[in-house]
Amino acid sequence: MASIKAVNTKAEVARAQAALAVNICAARGLQDVLRTNLGPKGTMKMLVSGAGDIKLTKDGNVLLREMQIQHPTASLIAKVATAQDDITGDGTTSNVLIIGELLKQADLYISEGLHPRIIAEGFEAAKIKALEVLEKVKVGKEMKREILLDVAKTSLRTKVRADLADVLTKAVVDSVLAIRRPGYPIDLFMIEIMEMKHKSETDTKLIRGLVLDHGARHPDMKKRVEDAFILTCNVSLEYEKTEVNSGFFYKTAEEKEKLVKAERKFIEDRVQKIIDLKDKVCDKSSKGFVVINQKGIDPFSLDTLAKHGIVALRRAKRRNMERLSLACGGIAVNSLEDLSVDCLGHAGLVYEHTLGEEKFTFIEDCINPRSVTLLVKGPNKHTLTQTKDALRDGLRAIKNAIEDGCVVPGAGAVEVAIAEALIKYKRKIKGGARLGVQAFADALLIIPKVLAQNSGYDLQETLVKVQAEHVESKQLVGVDLNTGEPMVAEDARVWDNYCVKKQLLHSCTAIATNLLLVDEIMRAGMSSLKG
Amino acid sequence: MAGGAREVLTLQLGHFAGFVGAHWWNQQDAALDRSGDAKEPPGELCPDVLFRTGRTLHGQETYTPRLILMDLKGSLSSLREEGGPYRDRQLDAAIAWQGKLTTHKEELDPKNPYLQDLLSAEGVLSSDGVWRVKSIPKGKGPPPVTAAKPVIPLEGGVRVWSDFLRVHLHPRSICMIHKYNHEGEAGRLEAFGQGESVLKEPGYLEMLEDRLHFYVEECDYLQGFQILCDLHDGFSGVGAKAAELLQDEYSGRGIMTWGLLPAPYNLGEPQKNIYRLLNTTFGLVHLAAHSSLVCPLSLGGSLGLRPERPVSFPHLRYDATLPFHCSAILATALDTLTAPYRLHCAPVSMAHLADMLSCAGKKVVTAGASIPFPLGPGQSLPDTLMQFGGATPWTPLSACGDPCGTRCFAQSVVLRGVDRACHTSQLPPGTPLPSPLHACTTGEDVLAQYLELQEPRALSSSHLLRSPCSVAPPYPHLFSSCSQQAVDSIPVFGALCSSSSLHRTLAGLARELTKLDLRRWASFMDAGVELDDVQELLQDLHSLAQCYQEGDGLTD
Repeated sequence: MASIKAVNTKAEVARAQAALAVNICAARGLQDVLRTNLGPKGTMKMLVSGAGDIKLTKDGNVLLREMQIQHPTASLIAKVATAQDDITGDGTTSNVLIIGELLKQADLYISEGLHPRIIAEGFEAAKIKALEVLEKVKVGKEMKREILLDVAKTSLRTKVRADLADVLTKAVVDSVLAIRRPGYPIDLFMIEIMEMKHKSETDTKLIRGLVLDHGARHPDMKKRVEDAFILTCNVSLEYEKTEVNSGFFYKTAEEKEKLVKAERKFIEDRVQKIIDLKDKVCDKSSKGFVVINQKGIDPFSLDTLAKHGIVALRRAKRRNMERLSLACGGIAVNSLEDLSVDCLGHAGLVYEHTLGEEKFTFIEDCINPRSVTLLVKGPNKHTLTQTKDALRDGLRAIKNAIEDGCVVPGAGAVEVAIAEALIKYKRKIKGGARLGVQAFADALLIIPKVLAQNSGYDLQETLVKVQAEHVESKQLVGVDLNTGEPMVAEDARVWDNYCVKKQLLHSCTAIATNLLLVDEIMRAGMSSLKG
Repeated sequence: MAGGAREVLTLQLGHFAGFVGAHWWNQQDAALDRSGDAKEPPGELCPDVLFRTGRTLHGQETYTPRLILMDLKGSLSSLREEGGPYRDRQLDAAIAWQGKLTTHKEELDPKNPYLQDLLSAEGVLSSDGVWRVKSIPKGKGPPPVTAAKPVIPLEGGVRVWSDFLRVHLHPRSICMIHKYNHEGEAGRLEAFGQGESVLKEPGYLEMLEDRLHFYVEECDYLQGFQILCDLHDGFSGVGAKAAELLQDEYSGRGIMTWGLLPAPYNLGEPQKNIYRLLNTTFGLVHLAAHSSLVCPLSLGGSLGLRPERPVSFPHLRYDATLPFHCSAILATALDTLTAPYRLHCAPVSMAHLADMLSCAGKKVVTAGASIPFPLGPGQSLPDTLMQFGGATPWTPLSACGDPCGTRCFAQSVVLRGVDRACHTSQLPPGTPLPSPLHACTTGEDVLAQYLELQEPRALSSSHLLRSPCSVAPPYPHLFSSCSQQAVDSIPVFGALCSSSSLHRTLAGLARELTKLDLRRWASFMDAGVELDDVQELLQDLHSLAQCYQEGDGLTD
């Protein structure tokens, strides 16, 4: 009896074989759930909540977050897998598959009496070798638009259907290229993702400018302004009555009236400054003038601005203020004292679009915008969410590719190559660890196998063909999912991120090793805090 | 005064806050003028303060609460995130995938009989949903539009707040925190630090900012925010962070925070109790720092570790273990206490109300209410008030102990639901006046005079409203005095006051916190709170308690 039982009779304990069995079972269970997702031919999953809310997804990351995982081991694996997504933006499904397969392969040897520690050593050796191979097969290239398109396509094809993926591919690559500045890291925050429940998802597009999800709040303001100056500011243009109302400051009605007027005048002066600037720069020409304020603008000020032909938007989001000056140029002003022409940005076209109660303001035709917007469209909520998730992953994939400066062939080609190299390497290893290396090599092959299986081909047959082709041609060969035949991944232009694969090898080995070495599971009134 | 309502945005953080909120919105909904008759004089309370008018994509006009609520994964039950009139009409129109599709359906939560009744009363509007499990009960002919006997939700049938919510919510109202589970053992939101870190994540922060922006941008005269926040679990951290965000972003607006605690605690679970104490203290201090006014609301006897008997009301029978009951009472109090800044004419703005009550840093206030206000038949207001004698007329609702013998620094009092005829004494002229109250000529004077008599040194503001509090179903039937009759509305007498009893309460919290060996509760600290933070917290708590010390020369 475990000693913990003596102290806490309620404790539940699983030891040695039983503990391992619990872990392996959980890992394989999770693997079974995500298995069908992998690759462009994987199944889409529709999750319907208890209340009837729909979520459509194929992304392992989204699935793991949505599932209420109660099993502690499964939840541990899920956390590692979603962490993978947080770091690299992709690879969740592969992660779960490989961890499950590593444990399954290890189980074969352990059931024959091999100690888990020895397998773990083999895993470690295999991982080091695998990383070496990965270094060798990676393809360093200059990241031109063409190759980025291929990378984005590979990523997006696995998330959404092909014609939508093609639309998104272009949008995603162009947006990253637009905000990319040589010598600076890529800041994906400069790409705003805005959703609009309108038309269909293939109308999703890149706006070289900004889309704000609010509009002017005055009926007389123009809905469309061309060739406009943009003033971004963070100045309150609203008269706050609270101070005057509190009753301590006035004794008579006239006095109150006077105070109110003085207070009002203060705001009016600010509005007048903006109007003066407008008159100065526009000077009776047909140029437009748009004010975008982070603080509020009250109806009186709006009215005055509208009379002078100024379009004013209030309460812009904080994060959009930076984007605004990057997109249109100009400087965001915090005080109207130092207002000058230099503060103004410029946009070729500003117009408003109304959808039900929601208004959108498009600021387009900016000269050399350094912040752009991906406008996601779709007829319903779940399509919007799905497209948005896909866009995020696409953006990450491109960012990764640019930052890595290299890519690796996809379609399971890398896994086949690594497995092949490991089999050769195995002979140099002495003792039981050799079996660990063998297990590792076999486990990696789960990726091409599942890819083939999800496309409806015989998995063993396809794998053998691919392996034979690989040995024969000495090229990186993957599975062609349209024919089930081997193909050279490079020629098919299927590219994966190098950093994703690297991260995969690291995290899968670490977590699988840890789980293998667990020989006792205790459950004794633990706080659920860590979940 | 410029036209237009002075808008308030409500934030509901946590599940018990959801309960209180649901009752409250139901009460607001019941008070709405449904007749659409323009000639009728508008009520005293302006619903536009809390509600917004909108329009769906299909052109349908809507009137929904100006509300953002946060709750955990799995807490909505049968309520849909995107529900009501805003739902998508063509659901299966486009599924962006040509390959295989597998569907994983959670078991659909059955709508309880009350909700089904509600749906059927609304007719076709809601019954065309593609995903609805059960449509209107069949075989009963056309649905009774005005049901003769409305189904009252059974106490046992209410598990979550959405089980009895009558109003439709705007799709931007519901924010789900998917990181933590509502039920089950794993993945709970238990500690202050966890809550804080939720709003430090860019994803959730952006979600909250987007929703705030949506509601605030359309307000012409936003007066402030009211935050209903659970104090006993990790939501106290969410609330603290949210209040900080609001203070940063919208300076100059009032932020009214109501810290909610469900009543009964078990002594048997020491860990839960310690966590509750830590969360409450952290929440209270941080919320006080970032909002204009904080008021703890609970039916429990104390905020500390040792539970005390829940408070009792002379005319109510309730089950303190049911959040459905507790939240109903708190919602009624809330409906009364918030009246000053929701008035149609001459409202006291939220910031002003807070200023009045919180002079010299006394940002924590206590609440009390007399539910229902015991106005007997044939009695006038002065009679009833004199009945109380010197005792406090209201039951304390802030778990700060008996207000007896403590000093009140400032108070805001609202009495509602008293008919104008009863406002003043109806004694025939010539009879000797039983009290100075009987001499007053208006109800307002009676009330003011009464407060003057009770707390001569306090700064008081009072409001007298004719409209009562609505307690129509699904409000639970709690009234012991009028047992059988269905009660639609009740008079309520409520007060917010900053009293010296808070000194005892806050100092008590600090004492209990000092006694705790915090290293034993490492899991609380793991979630992002450090020992230094606790020291700082203690200091803040002491200085907050200091503000309520009686007899410091400054306030006299």
